[in-house]
Amino acid sequence: MRLVAAELVQSREILPRQWLQSYHAPELATGTRAGQFVHVRTGDYSGLVLRRPFAVNTADAATGIVSIHFRSVGHGTEWLTRVRPGERLEMLGPLGRPFEIDPRNRHLLLVAGGLGMAGIRLLVDEALRDGRQVVLLFGAATTAEVYPSSLLPDEVEYVVATDDGSLGHRGLVTDLVPGYEAWADQAFACGPPTMLATLARLAASRGARLGVARLGRKRGGGRQPALGSPAARRRAFLQVAMEQTMGCAVGACLGCVVTGVEGPQRVCREGPVFAAEEIAWEPAG
Amino acid sequence: MKARKRVTTAGATGSRPARASDRPRRTPTVRTVRSAIVPVDRRPRPPIGGAPQSPGRAASAAEDRGPAVDLSVDLAPGRGGLRLENPVLVAAGTFGYGVEYGEVVDIQRIGAICSRGTTLQPRVGNAPPRVTETPAGLLSSVGLQNPGVEAVLERYAATWAGWRVPVIVNIAGGSIEDYVAVARRLDGVPGVAGIELNLSCPNVARGGLLFGIDREGAAAVTAAVRRATELPLMVKVSPNVADVRPIALAIEASGADVISAINTLPGMALGPDRTGPFLGTGYGGLSGPAIRPVALRIVHEVAQVVSIPIVAIGGVTELADVLDYLAAGAVAVQVGTAIFADPALPVRLADELAAECRRRDLASYRPLVGTALPRRPGAPSARGVEYRP
Repeated sequence: MRLVAAELVQSREILPRQWLQSYHAPELATGTRAGQFVHVRTGDYSGLVLRRPFAVNTADAATGIVSIHFRSVGHGTEWLTRVRPGERLEMLGPLGRPFEIDPRNRHLLLVAGGLGMAGIRLLVDEALRDGRQVVLLFGAATTAEVYPSSLLPDEVEYVVATDDGSLGHRGLVTDLVPGYEAWADQAFACGPPTMLATLARLAASRGARLGVARLGRKRGGGRQPALGSPAARRRAFLQVAMEQTMGCAVGACLGCVVTGVEGPQRVCREGPVFAAEEIAWEPAG
Repeated sequence: MKARKRVTTAGATGSRPARASDRPRRTPTVRTVRSAIVPVDRRPRPPIGGAPQSPGRAASAAEDRGPAVDLSVDLAPGRGGLRLENPVLVAAGTFGYGVEYGEVVDIQRIGAICSRGTTLQPRVGNAPPRVTETPAGLLSSVGLQNPGVEAVLERYAATWAGWRVPVIVNIAGGSIEDYVAVARRLDGVPGVAGIELNLSCPNVARGGLLFGIDREGAAAVTAAVRRATELPLMVKVSPNVADVRPIALAIEASGADVISAINTLPGMALGPDRTGPFLGTGYGGLSGPAIRPVALRIVHEVAQVVSIPIVAIGGVTELADVLDYLAAGAVAVQVGTAIFADPALPVRLADELAAECRRRDLASYRPLVGTALPRRPGAPSARGVEYRP
């Protein structure tokens, strides 16, 4: 974690009101893992009192470029869209804990809903770099909001669902998941809370539905890693990247908590990635 | 045997701070405001370079230029001392327990750290979402999430004891007994330099009336904590009252060493679909530059009636804000919300204050204190009627 001056290299609107910005920040490009985020200071200090957190979308150590992907929704993000190449922003990062891939797993199922792509994009690169197979399920409202496949590596199997059926599967992205459950060794998701809750329910019942045997562990035997530890997360079938409005991003203000089964969990410190079983999901309804 | 509670920082060893006998305490007139600020170290300071500096303290560029400026202040000279190296503190709730920002800020150069609000029992806090940005402000409702005083001391006290920067533990409770129990637990613990009372808690014994807006409640809890501990005692006043001065006077009379002003103002933000509040609990406390004029007014009011030092809180984001609060009668400021945007701000403000003093040929920042207060006691604004209907 450090304060870094990041120079804007490129900024473009890849989808309606969704922007992809590349920054030259070698300190961030080398040390960031998928799931981690940066806390960006905006310009107008007197009016905008908070930094804005963004998942690191891509990180290229060779060029020192990191990118962020965001939707222009308010004063802060709108200000960001007006930053010009060459200008420098102050970023605090990398922050939070990353996705934990079990090194034995070959088949990874990634699920992104809408802007959730921003939280999961870097994991695609990480997984492919390590020679894993990746299926990326993506859900959006309509064709116009579908993340362009040109921005993804060729090796990814990219499956799209749209609410209106204008592209790919008609319906929710979570409808597609059962088709890949047996293939996948591990799943990772980022998106709206309802999507994540549905995925968590699917993941919880997956073992029973697929008849997955629990091998190699006698009842009561073996030490279980503590909930929330990297080891426990590596073992979890589903990991989710959560979102919450955030204050300090270093764990001091306790503003960005989500409700976990063991009490409030800070998205900035314990998260943003959690194993699905760490979160107290809202009941379906 | 009890541990010593005096805060010993570099340079303080060997020279006891000025004692209570040096000045009259609690004489509520305007003229005594400055006398509350007793120079910690009356000896002339050796020039920078010859001064004993602890290792790890990076003399900033601002310090390298010109003569040394005495930024130190003792907030509780009558109570064994709460000596700060500079008058820029960090406000409770914004800096955790001090360890969280350690990776990005040189926390030892902060004047003092006010810890997260700590209660007797652990608290899980309020339902999320807990924070949202509002125009020039932050609306928050954390609900005093903390692991309880025992766990706090177990986890952090040893760390604090090794720090140069004093840690003032902010405490809260639902009853006077709770406050007293927490204060007793903190009393004598190495690493705890002082206590700040958060009075914006519902008093269960009085039907949930907040301590801070109830003169009797504020006085009773202050007096009870005063009896429970010898630690320097700072009491944070609430702005949510018609007239803060009787409460400030009651707090002073009950034995507080310092008054900090102000706590947050209640506010609300709506969710994106406007079907209800944005925050999980409905209402939240507003902080940030939006409340600065309110805080300045309250500091100005309180400074005219009490003789104990005042620490101003409310939207400090730049040197001009520090100078405003000093002029209004505060001897120190706490930086809160602005830390989230700029973690290095408190340290930089102290450097900028030193540079400002040098620019004005001042050896200390104390001449900047109280310059905006009315010259005569009993001037109209001391009665405080002119803006109230």
